[in-house]
Amino acid sequence: MQLTAPAAVALAIAGALTFLPRATRADGDVTVRGAYYKERSTRVIQPMADWRMTAGQSGEVTGHVLVDSITSASVSAGAAGEPFSEKRYELGAGYAQAIGRFLAGGSARYSTEPDYQSIFATLRGQAELFRKNTVVTVAVARGHDNITNAGAQGGLGGGVTIDGQLDTTLGSVGVTQILSPELVGGLTYDLIYLDGFQENPYRRVAAGGEFHPERVPDTRLRHAIAGSLRGFIPATDTTLFAAYRLYHDDWGITAHTPEAGVIQEIKPGIEIAGRYRYYFQTDADFYKPIYDTADPLMEPYITEDDKLSALTTHTVEVEVSALLSALGIEGDLGQVRVDASAGYLFQSSHYGNAVIGQFAIEVPFEAGL
Amino acid sequence: MPAVRIAKLFIAGSILGLIAVSAQGCARVKPYEREYLARPSMSANEDPGRARFAHHARGSREGAAGGTGKAGGGCGCN
Repeated sequence: MQLTAPAAVALAIAGALTFLPRATRADGDVTVRGAYYKERSTRVIQPMADWRMTAGQSGEVTGHVLVDSITSASVSAGAAGEPFSEKRYELGAGYAQAIGRFLAGGSARYSTEPDYQSIFATLRGQAELFRKNTVVTVAVARGHDNITNAGAQGGLGGGVTIDGQLDTTLGSVGVTQILSPELVGGLTYDLIYLDGFQENPYRRVAAGGEFHPERVPDTRLRHAIAGSLRGFIPATDTTLFAAYRLYHDDWGITAHTPEAGVIQEIKPGIEIAGRYRYYFQTDADFYKPIYDTADPLMEPYITEDDKLSALTTHTVEVEVSALLSALGIEGDLGQVRVDASAGYLFQSSHYGNAVIGQFAIEVPFEAGL
Repeated sequence: MPAVRIAKLFIAGSILGLIAVSAQGCARVKPYEREYLARPSMSANEDPGRARFAHHARGSREGAAGGTGKAGGGCGCN
């Protein structure tokens, strides 16, 4: 039985609200969220549910489930210029245990769609140092993906079966540092190594007067270092934040991502936030708008992937969050938090501008393990 | 890519992080001074669903990834 995205959202909200009669204190919570993304030729609707609950004195169990419903005519989304619809299902679960000043945990997620399966596992450790003024986090993760165009809709595979496998390895180290009673900073360095099939099996590249399958390197080493500052102004109950990420990989892409925002408390339990994010990247060494030839000796790699071209994106977003008790609703229902956001993306790529909308309901419940 | 090179780069990154810790560790804020820091708005941890969707959308439109301690990808939106 196929479940439509709106029906999945309704079902998830109904499921979350069944917790309400027992909602007396927050031993856990369920958040049901609906996310919407729309640009000129692609629309994504993603209903999801996340839950979190305590386990024993110092453990925490988390999980999530989502349906990713995409309708697109975009080649980069998996179709050769013909409209198609596809659903992706994802499940995830995790556990974390605090042991004194240390926290250790692991999580895994599985994602499946007709032409792509992925499994990912993460181990994470965290230590509080200097009387909890400093928190150091280390994470390692490993993923394995299977990709194929064998299940393509309406002959989008072009009659040629292309499949491959991709292994992803992540190493990450992060530091969060309290700088003053109103200021906290963070620094994260990620190293990501990809090994395997990284092409889009549907994408065709015009070269030498013919169309050819995309070719990109089998390996990719990605570095990202991100810093952030977050400060609170007590006089106005205002939180300010700023972040910057520098990215570089061995395909030749360098990207800069500054971001800033403000969160204003209107009254206790009600906040409004505004964010701006700028993204700029250079193109990959082998990216060309036009290839004169597809001869592997002349052009080892050919691609028409916009993500590998020089591009710029501006994102502006507004978010409102409210605890229902702050709106005058009493009882268990007053502990429910609702959150709505809307954003607009100005994209220089051929995808065009986009809108993003999200709506979420967070329901606390008493059900610690 | 030799595993040794990956390990070296990861170790170098870890050392940089530890240096940052050492440099900042002397700035002490006492527990009773952390009222403002305890506010949800002061946490860098985004709602997991919100963060996941943002990474998903950006991962299918941008060439960069990372900086969050989490790997992206895992879908056919390449």
